[in-house]
Amino acid sequence: MSLAKYLALDKVATFFNIIRQNGGIRASLFKLYRQDELKDGVLVGEDKYGNKYFENPRYFYGRNRWVEYSPDYHMNYDGSQVSAEWFGWLHYKTDLPPQQDPGRPKYPWMAEFTENLSGTTGQYTPYSTTRPKVEAWEPKAKA
Amino acid sequence: MLRQPLTRALTLSSPARAAPLAARTFAGPPPPPEKFEVFIDDKPVMVVPGTTILQAAAQVGVEIPRFCYHERLAVAGNCRMCLVEVEKSPKPAAACAMPVMKGMRVKTNSDLTKKAREGVMEFLLVNHPLDCPICDQGGECDLQDQSMAFGSDRSRFTDIHFSGKRAVEDKDVGPLIKTIMTRCIHCTRCIRFASEVAGVDDFGTTGRGTDMQVGTYVEKMFLSELSGNIIDLCPVGALTSKPYSFAARPWETRRIDSVDVLDPLGSNIVVATRTNEVLRILPRTNEEINEEWLSDKSRFACDGLKRQRLVTPMMKDSSGNLAPVDWEDAMVAAARALKDCPPNKLLAVAGDLADAESLVALKDLVNRLGSENTCTEQFFPLEGAGIDFRSSYLFNTKIANIEEADLILLIGTNVRFEAPLLNARIRKAYVHKETDIAYIGPKVDLTYDYMHVGDSASVVKDLATGSSSHEVLKRLESARHPVVILGADQLKTPEGAALLAYTQELALRLQDKLEDKNWKVLNVLQRTASQTAALDIGYQPGVGKALQDGPQVVYLLGADSGVISRDQLPKDAVVIYQGHHGDVGAGMADIVLPGAAYTEKRATYVNAEGRAQQTLVAVSPPGRAREDWKIIRALSEVVGERLPYDSLDEVRDRLSQVSPALVSYGDVQDNNYFAQARALAQSLQKPVSGKLDVQLKQLEDYFMTDTISRASPTMAKCVQAVLKQKQSQY
Repeated sequence: MSLAKYLALDKVATFFNIIRQNGGIRASLFKLYRQDELKDGVLVGEDKYGNKYFENPRYFYGRNRWVEYSPDYHMNYDGSQVSAEWFGWLHYKTDLPPQQDPGRPKYPWMAEFTENLSGTTGQYTPYSTTRPKVEAWEPKAKA
Repeated sequence: MLRQPLTRALTLSSPARAAPLAARTFAGPPPPPEKFEVFIDDKPVMVVPGTTILQAAAQVGVEIPRFCYHERLAVAGNCRMCLVEVEKSPKPAAACAMPVMKGMRVKTNSDLTKKAREGVMEFLLVNHPLDCPICDQGGECDLQDQSMAFGSDRSRFTDIHFSGKRAVEDKDVGPLIKTIMTRCIHCTRCIRFASEVAGVDDFGTTGRGTDMQVGTYVEKMFLSELSGNIIDLCPVGALTSKPYSFAARPWETRRIDSVDVLDPLGSNIVVATRTNEVLRILPRTNEEINEEWLSDKSRFACDGLKRQRLVTPMMKDSSGNLAPVDWEDAMVAAARALKDCPPNKLLAVAGDLADAESLVALKDLVNRLGSENTCTEQFFPLEGAGIDFRSSYLFNTKIANIEEADLILLIGTNVRFEAPLLNARIRKAYVHKETDIAYIGPKVDLTYDYMHVGDSASVVKDLATGSSSHEVLKRLESARHPVVILGADQLKTPEGAALLAYTQELALRLQDKLEDKNWKVLNVLQRTASQTAALDIGYQPGVGKALQDGPQVVYLLGADSGVISRDQLPKDAVVIYQGHHGDVGAGMADIVLPGAAYTEKRATYVNAEGRAQQTLVAVSPPGRAREDWKIIRALSEVVGERLPYDSLDEVRDRLSQVSPALVSYGDVQDNNYFAQARALAQSLQKPVSGKLDVQLKQLEDYFMTDTISRASPTMAKCVQAVLKQKQSQY
């Protein structure tokens, strides 16, 4: 075991590496505030909404792939914003990120990905499809 | 003249009918015949001669199954379900048609009777489809019930060749009655009802044996205002209600006793509801009013309760359109208008369907604000006695007593459409009691023959003064129980007061000569359900005078008949409309307060006889609508003239202060002061020259007369169907 390792200097190096990768002290502090976590890793790709996907096998399985949500979402990010094509890679269904996977189906009828809109004005509200029991009178509008 | 179907005339011959008509004397009823004893299942029962076995059995509580027999129709005796064993008789006898004889011993539970019933039931079921799961009669079907109770417990029906059961093509008899003729068991109740009660002899049978069919011979609508009753009469699902088809099962519905308000008679009804929705309306037996019938408008207009409803308070916004607002805003606006109005410029108008509670609350409120202008839409002359005596505006003879009458004089009223069940009574008297009817007014079809005396008001004058040379005057004077019925619509004209005076003169001249001192001759047939209560409470009939004063605030309590229009009011007048349907009244209103319809409130209505009856809450008022008297009570608080009642019982206490008759439910009081009214009317007997006209002449006029029936799609279909039938060559 080398002296540096014995003195855990490699950890210190990793620390500075993480700080550097995340864009300096200010940026790192903001990222820590926003994501509660600071990691170093390889940028595997980015989807069209601006979410960045990283990988670092140094972390154990389950934590070695992660997403940094687009700055547009600021603090309002949630899991449903991971786009459909990246979902499989992020959840270890596949090791091939979308840009490297030629076998993915692509049809014109496939719908655009949407995040979960619950709690927003765009949310789905269930409504009755039966006829109302009582039909109200509509006053005649003045011409 | 043979007024009854032949079967009835032959089977039940009464002494009066056996005598030649010319020799008929109006002797009093014959002394009751002596009773004798018969035995039903060894139970002794005393009966009068002429009683049938079935009636005698009913007296001791023994129920004999039947399909064709109906107590209000002629005996047909063709279903054979009522076969019973009679001791010392070789064959079983049909209990509905067999008169009892002295000492007769009937066995309704013997092996022979049971075997006969099972056999009859087997024959009926051989050609009856196994439709019950998809049949609207399921659950209230006589055939279903009786096959369970009296049928065999196993079937011999094995159709190994799959030849199928008898099938009959369905008939189209209009938008109210759905026919599935394969289910018909040929009891002929509908045929007998149509010819005897409704007076429309359209139904009949064709073919015989297995080819027999009940129908109208040619495709034709059942053109009657009582057609819905054959749905109730049909013991199976051959005739069912079209608007109610596949809507509900009888065990799913809640049934609430109530009172009909769409005609002035106040027929008793049962409102069937489910999930806060009125599904159908059925008649409730009341021998004094509607027997067990119900007119089509009362029965089928209930779907109008779900259309065109006022469900939220509304106010005119800055652009002059009615927009939904909160109760608070509407109340404050209405109260401000009422407060700012000088007392003599405030006018309250009550409409056709207003109940007594809201009428009295509104009158109290208006009086507290210093105004005396509370009016009804329907006019009644105030000269002479006016509305001071109840006898002047009521149906004094009473509906049930019409059967006792021997001569009925109708003046300017088409009873058939103004009060269909009263007309059914008159027809009943005409058919069964040989009552004669005379009629003054335009020629209309009353479903029975009448003497047409003329159509001008001067005929009434001639009859009253005794100067008429018409035969009817002699007949009236010799009648033992004459009845004079004046249509309230005739009183609208400037000659109305004179016409009423002459009618009173005529009726009371006849009444004074009668042997029967309790018999009342004079009747005024009101047109609406609210008028009697309104007059009892002290509303002024007609809005004419109050309108001329240029009212600033008009409070319409369900006033929708178009008596008041915007053009007649000053430009800045505020119209407050309280009611349950968007119609004429709401259309011209500045403030709309949504009230409850008659199925949605416990309320008092007084019918044309002066009989107070109450409706009960069947469903809750829709949306933010409220009970009518509560709206007025709440408004009074905002105005600052608090009305002193907080509960329905307290309102009814107030009603009983006004008149105890308004809260004596179910009773009708005898009216008096005829002579005083006649004396006061003497000066009004001026020459009259006008023609009497009635508003409802044809069947198509009958269906849509008030806000509820105007909103009803079924009633609209009826009008279309009748007009289409008129085009047909049949």
